[in-house]
Amino acid sequence: MGTVLVVGTTFGVVARQSGLQPVEIAGMSLLVFAGASQFAMVQLFSERVPTAIVIASVLFINLRHVLMAASLRAQLQRLPLAGRIVAGFVLTDESFAMATGYFRRGGRSLAYYFTFAISLYVLWNLATLAGIAIGSAIGDPRRLGVDFAITATFTGIVVLAIRRRSEAVIAVVAALVSGGLALAGASTLAVITAGALAPVIAVVTRR
Amino acid sequence: MIWLAIAGSAIATFLVRSTPFVVTIRGRLPPAASRYLEALPVAIIAALVGPAVVAPAGTLTHGAEPVAAALVVVTVVWRRSLLAGVLVGVIAVALLRTT
Repeated sequence: MGTVLVVGTTFGVVARQSGLQPVEIAGMSLLVFAGASQFAMVQLFSERVPTAIVIASVLFINLRHVLMAASLRAQLQRLPLAGRIVAGFVLTDESFAMATGYFRRGGRSLAYYFTFAISLYVLWNLATLAGIAIGSAIGDPRRLGVDFAITATFTGIVVLAIRRRSEAVIAVVAALVSGGLALAGASTLAVITAGALAPVIAVVTRR
Repeated sequence: MIWLAIAGSAIATFLVRSTPFVVTIRGRLPPAASRYLEALPVAIIAALVGPAVVAPAGTLTHGAEPVAAALVVVTVVWRRSLLAGVLVGVIAVALLRTT
């Protein structure tokens, strides 16, 4: 829960510093509600990447949720359709991890999942608003290095997510390929090309 | 255009999260596809780092960003803290740019 507040506030600050309007930033947290994707959107907006590529990048980042939802569906099957739709909207890495642990320990209460997941949604949006206020109060972002916060956040997210050597290799390859493409002038397609190609390493290597 | 991207991203994210709860999908995903999907987020986020480190604002870096990114990696590996990593990275880049 604490992490959500810190990351949500950071998101509000860097999004505001990148020049997005407060209502756009608040709208992203209300409608998209996906941490890494929202940071990615801020960066892609600042690079003036076409809308279709922004959406495709977000889709790729969040495709993993198909696997998470599929693994939770047995427990949520008894809900009415509207309940399942809400369950999907508030599904995040954090609520998935919490729910998986809870159901494995023999928990049955779906209220537990909804309380946790919806709390995260509320906190994420409150933290975003706090970040917008802070970001508006800070002066020139480049002078203070605040523009680098988004890159530092991505770097940290990747480091924390790496559990196997193959994932470290994938991350380094993806960063080098996209950096190389950007230097070569293909900055529009750099991220999505490198990001979609590097995971092939996971398919062709054995763990 | 920003709102179009926000709406499109919201719909894409929602569909990805809700479809398995609403539609019955038969059979299992091939293991190769699962491995690809599991590796995808790390790859995309790492791919966002590459250009921001070697070519921030579209021009070749003067060295501040790669050094700061390396310090972020060391800090996060050491402290396992995202916040510590971000603070070190921001302070490092601010100091390095002035030198």
